[in-house]
Amino acid sequence: MRLGVATADGGAPAGLVDVLEAAGLPGEVLRAAPTASLVIAGDTTWVPAAGADVLAGCMRGALDAGIVGKDLLLEEEPDVYELLDLGVCRDAIVYAMPRGMTPGRSRSRPRVATPYPRVARRHFGATGRQVEAIAFGAAALAPALGIAEGVLDLRSRVELAPLDLEVREEVATVSLRLVAGRAAHTLRAPELAALLERLRPSLEGI
Amino acid sequence: MIPEGMHDVLPPETAELRAIENALCRRFAAYGYGEVRTPWLEFAETLEAAQDDTLEAGYRLYDQQGHELMLRTDMTVPVARLAASRYRDKPLPLRFFYVAPSIRPWAPQRSQDGEFEQAGAELLGLSSVTADAECVTLLCDALSGLGLEGFRVALGTVAFYTALVDALGLPADDRETFLEALAGKDYPLLESIADNAEADEAALKALWRTLELSGTRDGLTQARKLATSDAMEDAIQHLVEVRDLVDDAGFGDAVTFDFGLFQDLTYYSGVIFEAYAPGVGLPIASGGRYDGLLERFEWDIPGVGFAISLDRLHDALEEAGAAPAAAPACLTFVGGLEHPEQATELRRAGWAVCALREGAVPKARPWLVREGNSYRLELAEGRAVAGSWKDVLRALESA
Repeated sequence: MRLGVATADGGAPAGLVDVLEAAGLPGEVLRAAPTASLVIAGDTTWVPAAGADVLAGCMRGALDAGIVGKDLLLEEEPDVYELLDLGVCRDAIVYAMPRGMTPGRSRSRPRVATPYPRVARRHFGATGRQVEAIAFGAAALAPALGIAEGVLDLRSRVELAPLDLEVREEVATVSLRLVAGRAAHTLRAPELAALLERLRPSLEGI
Repeated sequence: MIPEGMHDVLPPETAELRAIENALCRRFAAYGYGEVRTPWLEFAETLEAAQDDTLEAGYRLYDQQGHELMLRTDMTVPVARLAASRYRDKPLPLRFFYVAPSIRPWAPQRSQDGEFEQAGAELLGLSSVTADAECVTLLCDALSGLGLEGFRVALGTVAFYTALVDALGLPADDRETFLEALAGKDYPLLESIADNAEADEAALKALWRTLELSGTRDGLTQARKLATSDAMEDAIQHLVEVRDLVDDAGFGDAVTFDFGLFQDLTYYSGVIFEAYAPGVGLPIASGGRYDGLLERFEWDIPGVGFAISLDRLHDALEEAGAAPAAAPACLTFVGGLEHPEQATELRRAGWAVCALREGAVPKARPWLVREGNSYRLELAEGRAVAGSWKDVLRALESA
């Protein structure tokens, strides 16, 4: 079985390593594994990679399952099955502005910097507001740089912003999820069932 | 140069696709299905009658009289329209098949091309389990006839889940969201809806259990024990009967069950199925029963059918090393353009001949070069013949 794990610069996130270890899976190895590599453990090949690559791999049938953040799932709306909330790396996508700023005074369409432009368009569209969603990775920096008035990003990143940002709305709560490709869901059903069986108990108490 | 989501297909791939199409056509015909073609354009109203969500973003245009037209987004609805408008007084059942492209908006993040070709079959006028089984059998037969190994057809039913979700006792709004989450297999969302709405505990337990049972060997027997209503019993019994008939037809090994199977096409009403093959992430074929569809064209007859995605099937065959054999090699004939009578003679003898000008340099064997009245034939590396036209014909005959 081939399993993708979304990793950033520092390997797999600590919370995930603990969950995997508790389930008897090779978490420690993944902690140090560089992004875009292959880690072979028993009959499973782990593929630490960028989240978008994990999703592409699942959709193309190259990966059977993957671990990615719900934020990415909300943004990409990929054609994969979401099997389990791993409960770690909990965070929220929030809409924030510099403290004291009044939105929409000078602009009829506030600018919102975000790494999740599709989530932003959906969120504001559904609530009947017009914004200019600007795709910007380091969104929390955007007000300081004068790129945008608003920020739509993870709470953890907003809190680290140099400018004092105030959370105005919570858009969605996110955490790491176990997803499976549609083909794997049928062709690898017994292996996936076994994986779920191992992971479930290790989530108790998180 | 061409609109996003569109693509050209070049000769080597076209040849393989054509071979696949031909093999599928022969299979469909062997079950008594007749091929139909329908126009690219239908009245928007016709396609909208299917009330299919995927239509929202379809390509629309207007004709000179101001009618709103639409490029077909699949073939099932046009075939239903064709049947209802042309076959009303004909005896049932009706069996149709098609090999045709359709167009939907391009969705790269879901790896869906704008234009996609499908080969499909529709069986109209029978509501029995035997009709469902024939469709699944035909799909299995068509796939295995191409030499595809390791594919699985997951069988599910809309009825089982509707009954199970009914048992949860959710309020109407939640029920809708719940079914959507079920279709997308977003289990964490399912859980949170069920928790918030205080769904029936026993029914919820049964739901999780059956979702887990999907695809496993004894899943069906286990699911049976979990059935808490007659409607669920009936749904499972129906699947068992379909599976048994497909087994009798010799394709039981390819069938598995997926109780969570739930497609976004709103017209499906009973059995639904999807085929998967190793190395291809998305279904290579999908289908199901759509008993209410014809009624929207004012002819209340049941129907069941499926469509195979040609591109994905082609990928699957490549992956399995079972891509159809390339056409026999073409004989390059240098000087054939100046001497069409000789090229014709060779073609009549069964050779594919690509004629070139005299003096041209042939690129791929086998080749035949005419120089004055003598000929040089090279069938393969190191297998050359030189001599008269008669010598050439003799050598080609024995090749």
